[in-house]
This record gives sequence, C-alpha cells and structure tokens, in this order.
Amino acid sequence: MLKSKKLTGLLLLIAMIFFILLPRFASGYSVRLITGIFMYAVIAQGINLMSGYMGYLPFGNAIFFGIGAYITAIGMNKGLSFFLAMPLAAITAMLFSLVFGFMLLRLRGHYFSIATIGISAALLGVVQNSEITGGAMGTTVPLITLSPSVTYGYFYYAMFALMVLSCLTVYLVIKSKFGFGLRSIKANQEAATSMGINTTYHKAVAWAISALFTSLAGALYAYWMSFIAPAEVFDIMIAVKCIVIMLIGGAGTVLGPIVGAFVVELVAESAWSAFPEYHLAVLGITIIVILFFVPKGILGAIGDFVKWRELRLTRKVSV
Amino acid sequence: MEANNVILTIGSLSKYFGALKAVDKVSFDVKRGEILGLIGPNGSGKTTITNVVTGALPKTSGTVIFEGVDTSSLKPYQIARKGLTRTFQVVKPLLGMTVEENVLVGSLYGRDKRNTDMASAIKRARETMELVGLEGKKDFSVSDITLPDLKKMEFARVLAMEPKVVFLDEVMGGLNPAEVEEASILVRRLSRERGLSIVFIEHIMKVVMSISDRIIVLHHGKKIVEGTPQEVVNDPIVIEAYLGKRYAKEANNEG
Repeated sequence: MLKSKKLTGLLLLIAMIFFILLPRFASGYSVRLITGIFMYAVIAQGINLMSGYMGYLPFGNAIFFGIGAYITAIGMNKGLSFFLAMPLAAITAMLFSLVFGFMLLRLRGHYFSIATIGISAALLGVVQNSEITGGAMGTTVPLITLSPSVTYGYFYYAMFALMVLSCLTVYLVIKSKFGFGLRSIKANQEAATSMGINTTYHKAVAWAISALFTSLAGALYAYWMSFIAPAEVFDIMIAVKCIVIMLIGGAGTVLGPIVGAFVVELVAESAWSAFPEYHLAVLGITIIVILFFVPKGILGAIGDFVKWRELRLTRKVSV
Repeated sequence: MEANNVILTIGSLSKYFGALKAVDKVSFDVKRGEILGLIGPNGSGKTTITNVVTGALPKTSGTVIFEGVDTSSLKPYQIARKGLTRTFQVVKPLLGMTVEENVLVGSLYGRDKRNTDMASAIKRARETMELVGLEGKKDFSVSDITLPDLKKMEFARVLAMEPKVVFLDEVMGGLNPAEVEEASILVRRLSRERGLSIVFIEHIMKVVMSISDRIIVLHHGKKIVEGTPQEVVNDPIVIEAYLGKRYAKEANNEG
C-alpha cells in the first residue's frame, strides 16, 4: 500500500515537471492541444465530483462553462480587467448552482440529470435572444496584449494551474468529513440521511464546487479564444464529452479526468488526422471498446490490479 | 421522577396509506435505558412506526416527543442528529466502501454536539468495531462480507452515531440460532453499559421474550397489549392475534 502510494507520488512529480517544461520544447500546436486537454480535464473533474463520487450525473454542466465565458466577456467589454471579470464569473456560476441546486437536487438520480438538460436548453435560449450577450451571433472579448507565442504559454500555464487546483480540491474534499457524506449519498441515500447527513446541503455544495471550476475554465476559454458564441459555450456536447472522459479515465478517482482527457483528446486528434471522413466513427468505436474492457475506467482498472496483487501477497504471507 | 425517566413519547400516532390504516392511534413511552420489544404479525405496522418516528415517512396525525421536543415534522437527518436513529430491516450497507469507512460515516455524522473531527471519529469507529467483533474485517469491502457481518456492521454504524434511542428493525433476521444468541447478548450488554434505549422489533418470539424489559404488541396497526414479557405471552388477545381464535380458546381452557 505504502509502496504504491510512493510510486504514485513520484510519477506525479515527474509529470508535473514534464508539463511545466513542455512549452519550452513543444510546438505551438501541441501547446494549444494540451491547453485544451487541461480544460476538458477541469470540466470532467467538476462532473467527477458530482457523478463519480456523489452519483448525480450533471448532464447540463456546460451551463457553468457558458456562464463563466459570458460573464467574463460581458465584464471585460464593460471595462473590467480579466482578474476582476473571472472571479465575478465564478461567483455568478456558484450562485446560479446554489439557487437551482436547492430546487433540482431534491430530484433523485436520473431525474436530476434530465432537469439539468432542461436548464441548459433554457439558458441557451435566453443568451441567444438577449441584447447584453450579443445574441446568437456571439460576442468578442478584448484581446490579450501579449505576443502570440507568449499568449500560448500564458493560457497553457493558467489552465494547468486550474487543473492542478481542481484535482487538489477534489482530493481534499474527498478525504474530509464532507467527502464521506458525498460518497454515502452515492452508496445509499436513505442510509445516508438516517445517519444524520443533510443530503440536499451536501449535493448543493458539491454542485457549487463543480460550478466554480467549470466556470473558471469557461472564463479562461473566453479570454483565450477572444470570441464566443452561445451555441458553442452552452453546447451540451461539452458535458457529454467530459462524461465520456470521466468514464474512460475512471469515475470516482482524482486523476481519472486527466488521464481520460488525454486519452480521449489524443485518440480524437489522431482519428481526425488519420481518418478525416469518419473520425467520429473511429472515436466512437474506441470509446465503446475501452468501456467494454475496462468498465471502471483506466485508473479504476489499475486500482483493482494493485488491490488484487496486494491481496495475493498478503495471502502468500499468511499461508 | 417517573416523567423524567421517559425519553420518547409516541402519542396517538397514525399513518394511513390511502384507506389502509397502517398505524392507527398508537401511543407508548420509551424509558431511558430500557429495551422495549415491539412485536406483531406481518403487516401490523412495526416498520411503519419506525419509519414515521425516524422521519422517513410523514405522519398522518399524532405526536412524537423526543426529549421534550416534537420531532414529528423534522427531517430524518435532523432526528438522527438529536440522537434518535434506526437500523433497516433489509441491510443498507454503503456499497463501494470498506467496513471501517461505513462505520466511520456513522461516527463522523450521527448525534451532534460531540467531537466529530477526523481523528476522534476514526478512533470511535475502531472502538465500535471492536465492540461488535468486526475489527478483523475492517478493510474488507462491504460487498465481500457475510450477512451476519453486515448486520454487525450496521449495528456498529448505528452505535458509532452514539444515539440515545435506537429502533432495531429485525436485526436478527437471517441469522442462525448461535448467531442470534451472540447478538442478543451484545444488544443486552450495550443497553446496560451505555444506558441506550432500544426499541427492539423482532419476529423471533423467544428472543424478544428473553431480551425485552417490556413488550408492546401491535395488530392491524393498533396497539393491543402492553406489559412485561410474562404478561404478554399469557394474554389471550395476543395468542389470538398470532395463532387464531381456536388456539386462544384452548390456551384459556388449559390455563
């Protein structure tokens, strides 16, 4: 147990150093690709906290990405700096999640997922038809005043920091009393409530944490792209893609979203370059094959293997 | 003095499902530190009473006074935090967690106004597992242990909550006679050592008789008899409810 923990720590350290040094030798294309992967890992982590740990699949989580992007865009267009617009976006998304959370999270399981799809569609409609957002045509965001090559590095490190922060937060949350509450809700809500766990409160706070990271990813995305459109940032497929990422990486594991984001994005990218006509079919089949053979995701399967080996070792000792 | 000794008062409690009166104006008291047996044929309302008292189901009418406070409109988690809790007739382990983690959840949450930081909660969980004899299985996943161990785990989880009153809903179901014996000694001991009030719901008459200080018999949602185990077994109404009128007459003639 201790040995595998030390090994994980060492691998993490190597990975950290690798990703910190990467922009020094990688091409601009790779840096942009990996920045996107970090972004998906953050969104997937938000879904992982809700679904992987708590058992509530938030199908409409793209709303927070959209809110994050749009509040940043509107704020900056009104003259705020990015460092003021970003926290404003995060606070708006968290308030939104709390208000709707206390209403929707009374619904159990799939009904909650369906309700979030409804909110997602409704919000898209509102944004597409209001003045302040620039309507369906989208809106521009003030450009960052840095040279293009520095800009790539800037968003790369910002997204990397956000990803590390989201993983660290989820890790600490899951180790805490609150985390045990979340896991109990997934395991058996009736037993959880009979043990004194205020399930609605736990669910709403978990969704607010999820909204926080998803909206920060959206804020960075808006500044990075400098142009956003409603159908793009409120796209339900963002959440769907990140659900796939979570499942492939390993739902209910802290690093699963990162592993999943790399696997899915790299497979999608190579499928796109190798089979330009039917890259989506290749991607789809790959996802099915992975989920068929490792239903618990890549990290789930590795975890099972480590446990199995330890069990075999302890048995050998006891015999 | 007598009034202070009562921890839970159930007053004229009713629960209707449409036209079915599952619980019909049932009243009784639970005293501090006693084991109160709650028996009755299938469908007599035992589990429904548990569900209403612990907040899992809303009442139709009546009152539940726990330590002087009406808890009948509180939510289950609020009632649990006050120190009134239950086990489930069908075990509800937290799947995907180990035995220790299950007990730890009870220890972390449970009754409020006590120390629930991680270190003291883990300590309490370990002590509780030792108490019920589960310390050897603490790292097992709950899906890998036997039914008797699951029942022990659920009991440990409830004890780690440090409640004042526990409704044990058929904790002996599915156990063999030796395990039943072991479990009843444990329940008895804990009630004495911790001053824990237990409402003991059970089908196995022998166990209820040996373990309970007092017994309440329910039939078709109504309380029909209340008394000591001796009074209850000899009561013709009870015999009739359980075995039918013919047996009641025979018992009367013999007596």
